[in-house]
Amino acid sequence: MAAITGPRRFGLSASGRQRTSKPVIWRWVVLLITAAYFLIPLWSALRFAGISAFGSVIGFAGFGSSLWLSVKLATLTTLITIALMLPTAVYVHLRLPKVRRLLEGITILPIVIPPVVLIVGVLAIAPGFLKSSDLLLALEYVVLAMPFAYRSLDAGLRALDLKTIVEASNSLGGGWITTLWRVILPNLRTAMLSAVVLTVALVLGEYTMASLDLYQTFPVWIYVNSQASGQVSVAASLLALFVTWLFLMLITVLATRQSRKTGGGQVTLFAVTRQETRGN
Amino acid sequence: MTSNIARDAAATDGMRRASGPGTHGTSVLLQDLSRTFGATKALDGLSIEIAPGELVALLGPSGCGKTTALRIVAGFEAADGGSVLVDGKDISGVPAARRDMGMVFQSYSLFPNMNALDNVGFGLRMRKLSGGDRRRRAGELLDMVGLAPQARQYPHQLSGGQQQRVALARALAIEPRVLLLDEPLSALDAKVRLQLREQIRTLQQRLGTTTLFVTHDQDEALSMADRVGVMRHGKLEQIASPDELYERPATAFVAEFVGVMNRIPGELQGDGMVAVLGGTVPVQRDSGADACVERASVDVLVRPEGLTMQVVQNGNGIVTTRTFLGSVTRIGVLLSGDVTVQIDKPSSQAAALAPGTSVAVSLPADAVLIAPRL
Repeated sequence: MAAITGPRRFGLSASGRQRTSKPVIWRWVVLLITAAYFLIPLWSALRFAGISAFGSVIGFAGFGSSLWLSVKLATLTTLITIALMLPTAVYVHLRLPKVRRLLEGITILPIVIPPVVLIVGVLAIAPGFLKSSDLLLALEYVVLAMPFAYRSLDAGLRALDLKTIVEASNSLGGGWITTLWRVILPNLRTAMLSAVVLTVALVLGEYTMASLDLYQTFPVWIYVNSQASGQVSVAASLLALFVTWLFLMLITVLATRQSRKTGGGQVTLFAVTRQETRGN
Repeated sequence: MTSNIARDAAATDGMRRASGPGTHGTSVLLQDLSRTFGATKALDGLSIEIAPGELVALLGPSGCGKTTALRIVAGFEAADGGSVLVDGKDISGVPAARRDMGMVFQSYSLFPNMNALDNVGFGLRMRKLSGGDRRRRAGELLDMVGLAPQARQYPHQLSGGQQQRVALARALAIEPRVLLLDEPLSALDAKVRLQLREQIRTLQQRLGTTTLFVTHDQDEALSMADRVGVMRHGKLEQIASPDELYERPATAFVAEFVGVMNRIPGELQGDGMVAVLGGTVPVQRDSGADACVERASVDVLVRPEGLTMQVVQNGNGIVTTRTFLGSVTRIGVLLSGDVTVQIDKPSSQAAALAPGTSVAVSLPADAVLIAPRL
């Protein structure tokens, strides 16, 4: 009996080993090809820029102001996006479930419509005071971020039995604000973090809209300075990439830790999986 | 679990003393409730009176309107017509958050971001109880449902049965005027369901909380409720005590929905009698005989224990199946006319009734229910 149960327990039967070894090799092959695809250009960029270029990035004219503008825009865009998308997504899930598909369709539009078309439309109808304000670009970014933010929030809401927990809160005396603050938001923390991460990453890397609207955001500054010093421009790009990546990893790790504590599963940028109840 | 219930007795007694008269003594009156969803009439003039401390179960098939009625009482749905009166006051316009009703839902409804203690304490927080009082009382309630050791666990760390017990403790923590149970056991397996229904009934009786319980499971309704209301197409077919419902069903629908019922072809006579199985028996009043014309073909409705059977040569039936159910054995008998009936016999007498045995099936002279022939 022991001879039979031993290998089964560890999943190491001879036939099992044969069956699983092939896919494992292929997984590594795919992983290595993908890694090479992403890492070789980065390695080349690093070699082109050289380590010394990183030191001179900060001293370059416009570095601080363009970075500050990008951070400002990221903050503004994130706040507006969450303020618009969160109540909308919650309301649609609770009261208008039939509209969900329509809303999904609408939120995809910014991906389908080219940024140039959006900008032409926005500039044609935007009031004068907006045209001279950073808010204009932030509002355009809100449109761009909508598909990503909505999908993150939607994934979080789908993982919850929203209707039941809202009704449970109501029956216990919780009004709407209390229910939103104490019940819905804490359970959507992970989804909101995903939405924030995606929005911030999008704003920090967006070039076309900022350039066409004549804003010197960080990506635009990198492009402009590539004419003056290619090496510094590449070093700034790598620096921005590294800082953004670090930021995304930090939020993902924090969100996963919080999520595991309260029963959520692994957190990815587009999905929040919930652990199932353990039996009856 | 049984030991939990026994142990909980002291805790609940303590709670009842502490809670005072506010937790029981509430009457509920559903008056002519109607509700329509599109073309579907979910409720069609439903009226029920629930006495203080009583547990009334609403039983019926899917779509009969029982959950809609419960949700209207809870304040999650608004009735198109009619009213809900609690202790004589119309609460139709009162929002759910201010109705003071505890509810246990069909699906697991614990807040995933809170541990068991905080879940139970949530309603108390809404009632502005201080942190210490809240934790103490939530702890008492968890102890009452036998889950004190799990107080710091999050919902995903609890089993389905444990989650529903926490949900019950949470609903009771606010000392609700009315407890509403929306099929709280339907997601659980048979063994846990049986244990939990005993626990719910014990707690409800000890606390004396007026309770409305919705279920589609007749065993649950009959075993837990003081009275059971059977619903169909948004209307109440009959509301009565479990034994009355079983022994004296008011309509053919109730008779067939509650328990096992045989349909035996018969012919209605003019004098309130029906000819069946070669004899005549009286028809029970209000059983639909008025709707049937004289000499009409009808079905006579009889419970498995209402038929008698004797082993004879060339009888009117042949035993086809024999199912052991413990103290009784259910015998399937094929009658002439291709009609199969189920007859219960004490298991000690069923040994001789092997499949293929010829038997004589007859009806006692008691009044029977009839229904139009299917």
